[in-house]
Amino acid sequence: MEKVTLLVMLFDVLLGLGLLWLAWQLLESRDLFKAIVLFVAFGLLMALAWVRLDAPDVALAEAAIGAGLTGALLMAALAKLPSRDTSESLADEKGYWLLRLTLLLVAVGLGSVVLSLPESAPGLGAEIASNLASSGVNNPVTAVLLNFRGYDTLLELMVLLLALLGVWSLGRSAPTREKPAGQVLTTLVQFLTPLLILVAAYLLWAGADAPGGAFQAGAVLAAAMVLLLLAGWPLQHLLSGWALRLVLVAGPATFVALAGLTLLDVGLLAYPPQHAGKLIFILEVAATFSIAVTLAALFLGYRPRASNKESG
Amino acid sequence: MLSSEIPWGALLILLPLAAAIFCFVLPRLAALTGVVAVILVTLVVGAFGWQLYCQGVYQHAVGGWGAPLGIDLYGDGLSLLMLVMTALVGLAVTLYARSYFSQKQARVFWPLWLLLLAALNALFLSADIFNLYITLEMVGLAAVALVALKGGRDALNGAMRYLLATLLGSLTYLLGVALLYHSYGTVDIALLAERIDSSPVVWAALGLMGAGLLLKTALFPLHFWLPPAHASAPAPISALLSALLVKASFYIFLRLWRELFSPLGGDVALLLGLLGALAILWGSWRALRQTRLKLLVAYSTVAQIGYLFVAFPLAAAAGTMLWNGVSYLMLSHALAKAAMFLAAGNLLLFGGHDRIAELDRAVQRLPISTAAFALAGVSIMGLPPSGGFIGKWLLLEAAIEQGYWLLGAVMVVGGLLASAYIFKVVGYAFTRSTATHEPKSIPASMEWAALLLALSSILLGLTAPWVFALLDIGNPFGGVER
Amino acid sequence: MSTALLYALVGIGLFSLGLYALIVHAHLLRKILAINVMGSGVFLLLIALTKRSVTSFPDAVPHAMVITGIVVTVAATALALTLMVRVAIENRCAELSDQSEE
Repeated sequence: MEKVTLLVMLFDVLLGLGLLWLAWQLLESRDLFKAIVLFVAFGLLMALAWVRLDAPDVALAEAAIGAGLTGALLMAALAKLPSRDTSESLADEKGYWLLRLTLLLVAVGLGSVVLSLPESAPGLGAEIASNLASSGVNNPVTAVLLNFRGYDTLLELMVLLLALLGVWSLGRSAPTREKPAGQVLTTLVQFLTPLLILVAAYLLWAGADAPGGAFQAGAVLAAAMVLLLLAGWPLQHLLSGWALRLVLVAGPATFVALAGLTLLDVGLLAYPPQHAGKLIFILEVAATFSIAVTLAALFLGYRPRASNKESG
Repeated sequence: MLSSEIPWGALLILLPLAAAIFCFVLPRLAALTGVVAVILVTLVVGAFGWQLYCQGVYQHAVGGWGAPLGIDLYGDGLSLLMLVMTALVGLAVTLYARSYFSQKQARVFWPLWLLLLAALNALFLSADIFNLYITLEMVGLAAVALVALKGGRDALNGAMRYLLATLLGSLTYLLGVALLYHSYGTVDIALLAERIDSSPVVWAALGLMGAGLLLKTALFPLHFWLPPAHASAPAPISALLSALLVKASFYIFLRLWRELFSPLGGDVALLLGLLGALAILWGSWRALRQTRLKLLVAYSTVAQIGYLFVAFPLAAAAGTMLWNGVSYLMLSHALAKAAMFLAAGNLLLFGGHDRIAELDRAVQRLPISTAAFALAGVSIMGLPPSGGFIGKWLLLEAAIEQGYWLLGAVMVVGGLLASAYIFKVVGYAFTRSTATHEPKSIPASMEWAALLLALSSILLGLTAPWVFALLDIGNPFGGVER
Repeated sequence: MSTALLYALVGIGLFSLGLYALIVHAHLLRKILAINVMGSGVFLLLIALTKRSVTSFPDAVPHAMVITGIVVTVAATALALTLMVRVAIENRCAELSDQSEE
């Protein structure tokens, strides 16, 4: 028993140090490409930390979004930079001792504040436990995301839409080099895409009772679309114009419509308990598609146009 | 359903959200939807205000859960003032933007602006510090996208700098939220206010949340991102940014200060006052030195933000009336500064540039816009009978009564510098410049939008008793200093 | 030291490292990476400290908050990267420029 605890403790310490070391390496690496690779590794290590902290829902979100999609976004952006000025001079080493000292003091101060926290936390576990039955789902994280604090999630979907509007308004920077996909990538995509779609469907379905839900499913689905785009599939021509816009707003619009209906009835986003489960599932399905397509569109980086003429 | 039961507050958030989605799906109808939605929101703000006046504070437990498990909406006199400010400026900007943007830009502008409006309304009605984080992110991202809307080197650089600053501010704020949640088990402001005590965690949370919010408010010396972003954005966007956005983060700071942190920090209040004084001097001086009109107006914002912070060291002894003055100053600055940016935008479009020395008889050739600029200037200088006068007078009175002579002197010097930079602009508007140019015609709606805002910032000075009565709803500034 | 405090301290460390990198590096891609590392630090602290909870039922509120935060961060990152590419084309390097176009 004693030995196992010690081993786990050692693992935690190593993981923590590994995270800090990777963060330092990726932030100070002279080569930007290497920095991005290290960032993806950092994301995977973070996912491991979430598992250690009993947060499997977050681990899934981190692996799919934090490491996977962010990594793809970073790589795509790096490829679009006009010059690979990776050898640019790093910080003027001498001038920053005062800054380092200040930040060190801030870190030590914050650290000691963390250590001064009482041993046990108040938390909201008890409130969740006593209200979970009337939330419509059994996974507490899904209950918080889509019921107890569903209003946050409604606004969060708007954040995604905002980011996409911003990206679209910036326009297409430069025609990306259209490279024919290699044989390896094509094969990989043929094998991975159906698998990812299956995983997404499972995550969506399981989200009510087990780790998973709209965000994780949407992110995995987005990953599948990003792979298809990389392999040269013309997804941007298949889905464009107002059809694309409808898919993008499906989640937000369903949410807003539900908010409006419940407002007329009882109160903002107050679901009748007997229908809560169904309503949450409908919301999650709509949100999954919107999240997936929004993330894939963010990766694409410009407003897709139908191949003939006008579009969206 | 009786009219008194209609949940106007929630509608203030849902209505612009729904309109934004509609605009996004049907870009052809974007401008029409936008105008209708903003007019409706303004009417709803009126109805909401009447409801508050009759029934007292607005409270709504979203999802029916109630804090701490759920999120609460909360509205009192201060929220109402912010909503009214947003609606008035929003209405003028909407009128202006209808003629300002090209077809292509309009399809992006309207959904972005409606989402920003929804986010601002949600922010002013939120009683939950994590929910406030999301509204802050919405506001920030919408603003960045709007700044970059027209493209061009200055705007893109300004937008990028703004984005980094706003993300840094949000994350710092969120770290403070995390510390508070893990100490008191709630993110609801009212519950936190009951439970909070003086501990290292609360100090750290104050430092983090405060630093994040002050960065977003652009308090000196955290103002570095503001002038390039506000000056390079399209004119209606600059108006929104300077009038509303810096106020949004200031509003959160003021709320948290009043509810949670004011018992902690006399010294912190003094520091805020000092930074405010430095902001007044530095911002006004920089404004005076500018050769470009929009940069001048942007630096003037840095200075005027300073006035809001001068109030903090005076508050402990002065009480409610001083905070009323600060609220008045926020409102009048919003109206006046929006008017100035819209007028500056007209002058820029008219001449094709915004070099102050080459305004070239603008007063004869573009009289309405020049008048709007000058009238707004009266409010910024703080001359009677403008709204700016009431706010600054209340601050000055408190400073002198309490013997803060230095703060009082800084406020007076700030007023003098403001007169100097405004007269500089007006002076050049009278003279003939050597370089002449081919003027472009300006749609009347764009001129009148600026003038109406400027006029309302002046007339605001005559409405003080009513505004103070509305501000009293829910007693946001508490009779007693805790 | 408990697991909760250990990971919370790592979170503070990541936040500070990210903040340092954000200030000292001029390259915009590095600044964006730094923001992401700072975010991970905040999220780690937010979740780690729930491990102190004494109730038998897990406190899922921070978990939901972090999922929200991760999505907000990826949205902001995507916008930042697109903006960076445009800025880099205008400035001919991926750094912010102080010069005005006139």
